[in-house]
Amino acid sequence: MRHLGDALSAEAPPPAQIDLLITHTHWDHIIGFPFFAPIYQPECSLEIYGLRRTQSSLRATIANALSDPLLPVALEDLRATLRFHEIHEGLCFELGPVRVRAARANHPYRALAYRLETDEASLVFIPDTGPFHTVLFGDERVDWTGEPQQSSHDELRELAEMRERIIDLARDADWMLYDSQFTDEQYARFPHWGHSTPSQAREIAEAAGVRELLLFHHDPHRADDEIDQLVAAQRAVARPGLRVHAAYEGMLLRKQKDER
Amino acid sequence: MKLQFWGVRGYVTTPGAEYLRYGGNTCCVLVCGQAGELLVIDTGTGFCQLGDSLLQREFRHGQGELTLLITHTYWDHILGLPFPGLVHTPGNRLQIYGPDNTRGSLELTYDGILSPVYSPVYGLAHIGATHSFQPVSTEPFQVGQLTVRALPLSQRKHSPIWAYRVEEGDRAVVYITDVRYIDDQIWNKAVGFASGAQILIHSAPYTRDEHVEDYGHSRVEDAIELAIEAQVERLFLYHHAPTRTDDQLDALVARYRAELASTGHALVLDAAAEGLLLDV
Repeated sequence: MRHLGDALSAEAPPPAQIDLLITHTHWDHIIGFPFFAPIYQPECSLEIYGLRRTQSSLRATIANALSDPLLPVALEDLRATLRFHEIHEGLCFELGPVRVRAARANHPYRALAYRLETDEASLVFIPDTGPFHTVLFGDERVDWTGEPQQSSHDELRELAEMRERIIDLARDADWMLYDSQFTDEQYARFPHWGHSTPSQAREIAEAAGVRELLLFHHDPHRADDEIDQLVAAQRAVARPGLRVHAAYEGMLLRKQKDER
Repeated sequence: MKLQFWGVRGYVTTPGAEYLRYGGNTCCVLVCGQAGELLVIDTGTGFCQLGDSLLQREFRHGQGELTLLITHTYWDHILGLPFPGLVHTPGNRLQIYGPDNTRGSLELTYDGILSPVYSPVYGLAHIGATHSFQPVSTEPFQVGQLTVRALPLSQRKHSPIWAYRVEEGDRAVVYITDVRYIDDQIWNKAVGFASGAQILIHSAPYTRDEHVEDYGHSRVEDAIELAIEAQVERLFLYHHAPTRTDDQLDALVARYRAELASTGHALVLDAAAEGLLLDV
């Protein structure tokens, strides 16, 4: 987000409004915020969207992370105008020409997934989600004893519904960025962390008729060569018509003219 | 004793090809005593890979013991803590020294960063390793054969920032970060604290001629002057600015080495780099 902020600030003129869509506030999803140059620019307004929670406001969650004793940044001292919008799963809204939809992902303490759509293209962003067949994540911690737990009938039904809504969110999308952090072996050991494997990502992409799957949220231990291998393995089994890539820093997605 | 840098960047991680040689992880240094004592100073993101390396040893079997010395609780000094496997392995023991703050204890601050809104750990209670927190004081303490001294050098609105000195026999490593030398009193305290150390690790994100806002940091020149006045043998510039590329760090070090050479000072000057391992 630091590099993105620097690039946006270097534009002439820099953008007057930036909309930030936050899936959830785990550290790896907010840590760039205080280093995002536009927040220090008085002519910029930031519209920040994130999940409504009963336990704490989105504004307080961000404010507490940035202030003493964790950092010396006070939200009220930032020069940009910040507005927080607490949203819920299922919400549809428009940001200029972009239609946005939010759905719930299966992740500890809940997280959102987003679909962004214009008349030309559609992109779906599901960075953190577990699969939808065993563990159901909610507001409480899921303990893992090392043995698969028997999910209740209600839990299984909720998981199945969540999966259907995620597939609906991703329906016929041009691009889907999807959580592919785990190997099968990691998933077997840490199902309670709420992450998926590349084959689970591919199965959702195929069920939704996505055109291009971008493996995303790479495990910190996954080296470049290993990610190449994961992509090759999924390409080998992907349904015809589904392209598979791994997202990388600096990657630019642009629809070719003849694809429109 | 031995010393190894695991994270040398200040403020925020800097992934990217232009940062590979000095490294992009935030603050973390390991000090190993001859008898096997393990001390970690600050747990920025460098702690993640340090943890991976320790997991190759007794920590894999829940038989490791680690002492953490925390200077202060800004993100770039603490957020690596919850990631390594050793922290989640029952049997491992973590002894954590650092400052309380006006909003709560060090333990409460760590519990807060692990709360479910920020972390899937859901709070300190779910860390598998045995852990205990100790508010740091100026009273020296022993970790095996190592003597640790601590000094609150700088004051932020809600908490002091501590400097650490680790001694083994007559050898000493001193770690000073995020300090502002706003008066002679702080300067003299720092000189006394670093006095005669073999190695001084000192935050130095910017030079005096760089026009950046005051983020509460001394400049490169302050670190060098302190090292000279305290008769330190070797100075490592540390807590590099996120904008500082490898080539710029090379140039920075070359510039100040040339100045040292022209004035005849014997101080050895380097920029700290991730992975660098030293005998002290």
